[in-house]
Amino acid sequence: MSAPGHIKGEYRSAKHEGAPVDAYCNGNYDGAPGSAAAPPVLLRMQGLSKRFGGLQAISDVSLDLPAGMITTLVGPNGAGKTTLFNMITGHLTPTAGTVHLHGKPLARLAPWQIARLGVGRTFQDLRLFTHMSVQENVTTVTERGSWLWQRRGDPARIEAVLREAGLWDKRHERAADLAYAERKFLSLARIMACDASLWLLDEPASGLDPRSFERFVALLRSYAARGITICIIEHNLDLVTQLSDRLAFLDQGRLLACGDPAGILKDPQLAAIYFGERA
Amino acid sequence: MLAYLQNIAVLFCVNAMLAVTLNFIMGYAGIFSLAHAIFFGVGAYVAANIAMHFSDSLLLCVAGAVLVSGALSMVLALPALRVRGEYFVAASLGLQVIGVTVFSEWKGVTGGLGGLVGIPPPTVFGHALATPGEFLALAVAGLAAVLLITTALLRGSFGRSLMAIRDSESAAQAAGKWVAAIKTLSVAVSAGLAGVAGAIYAFYMSFVNVEGFMLETSILLMAMVIIGGTGTVFGPIIGAALLMLLPAALTYLPFLPPSELGTVQQIVYGAIMVLLMMYRPGGLVGGRRKGGKA
Repeated sequence: MSAPGHIKGEYRSAKHEGAPVDAYCNGNYDGAPGSAAAPPVLLRMQGLSKRFGGLQAISDVSLDLPAGMITTLVGPNGAGKTTLFNMITGHLTPTAGTVHLHGKPLARLAPWQIARLGVGRTFQDLRLFTHMSVQENVTTVTERGSWLWQRRGDPARIEAVLREAGLWDKRHERAADLAYAERKFLSLARIMACDASLWLLDEPASGLDPRSFERFVALLRSYAARGITICIIEHNLDLVTQLSDRLAFLDQGRLLACGDPAGILKDPQLAAIYFGERA
Repeated sequence: MLAYLQNIAVLFCVNAMLAVTLNFIMGYAGIFSLAHAIFFGVGAYVAANIAMHFSDSLLLCVAGAVLVSGALSMVLALPALRVRGEYFVAASLGLQVIGVTVFSEWKGVTGGLGGLVGIPPPTVFGHALATPGEFLALAVAGLAAVLLITTALLRGSFGRSLMAIRDSESAAQAAGKWVAAIKTLSVAVSAGLAGVAGAIYAFYMSFVNVEGFMLETSILLMAMVIIGGTGTVFGPIIGAALLMLLPAALTYLPFLPPSELGTVQQIVYGAIMVLLMMYRPGGLVGGRRKGGKA
């Protein structure tokens, strides 16, 4: 999937001088006149900031995630990418700013409420339910109630997800006993099964062998083609270039650029920051 | 001899019920409570009071014990469940201390330090349960019911939610689990079923006082769960059997003077715990492996 052409070249205001910035980067895109092809905004972040004591982790970030597109957050370690995810999912409360999903504010909602609105996420350290079987890991995310008995998710759907993730044959194994790549796929399978419309994936491809990597990319492409909006934190530039419709570059909590991946990856100043060669 | 064995069997069933219900939150939800004896006590006092002042119907007394223990646990759990891990252990210790103080001081309901005496035998459809055999049948039925209910819950969606929370609370939240509600409900179920054990205990002893619900009881119950195997169905029962039978077995050792039995018992408990943690951290039923790679 590629970004609509008119978005690629539409730079509104530079976050750093000369850096590429597209129409979704200011958290105020409402569809340009005559841009019927432009996807609507699924998630909007406006003026997001987060301070931990004396550390300003995120500083005035405004960014839209267009529906059905793959947006990748890149930046050096400590740029605030995971903090941004944590604020979207309600695991952290922003010091300032707002997050809207489908135009509805997510302020004061607990993580479980945000998840039920259709925001699914994976974690950098996976956080699998390690003592449960592969199948139970997926089954439990389809059971969303809090009461004593809940109707189990559709078994056919669970089976389809496990087959798609290549885990059907391992469904009775404990998650803790899986190989690393299988654990990565299980992490993704959980999100595939929960019918989220927005996936936030924190370094989903790190440590994958080349064969698993190819399968992983194909899986993400297939779900993006089905209309799932995906936002990925990734350091693997292969994945970034193969998958991303848009790139958002963060450094020290600030959004420096966002838009067409090729334009951002060619930017010498951003490359210098990314590879730690800043002056 | 038969009466002695029946006595041990009834007390084993009561303790096994408590261990199973503690394991429900400890082994499956990762909630380490040092206040379980309090809910055991609440069940005992409620059943005793209903029997002494309103009705000696077993069903009514047990229902009252379950409801009050469960409801009280929710009130107490709501603030305590806001903290996790070792902080919850500390908070539950506080609950235990408060509970013991209330049991000791609320003389109108608990009889104070002297306790409640003369609890009438319970009746089932008009028939009074009075013989040791009948109490044994009641205790076995209680244990079976508690085991059935907890196992059914744990094998369903609720059990999966509890285990998800135990393994990763943040991931469970991200999967749409209302963690606070699930944990509170699990504590209520656990405490409510501990109330059943309390009711049976009160009727069997026909006397209750605070001595049965002290911190030592909570620690002993935790030891039963750990020794048997946390997060296993039958582990707590094995643990309860071992810790109940050990004192009885020690009395048959001819070289041990009766005055030293208590001390030796504590040393044996401690040694079992240390050896288990070293060689079988999953407990007797749980096996060698404990924890995962993640």
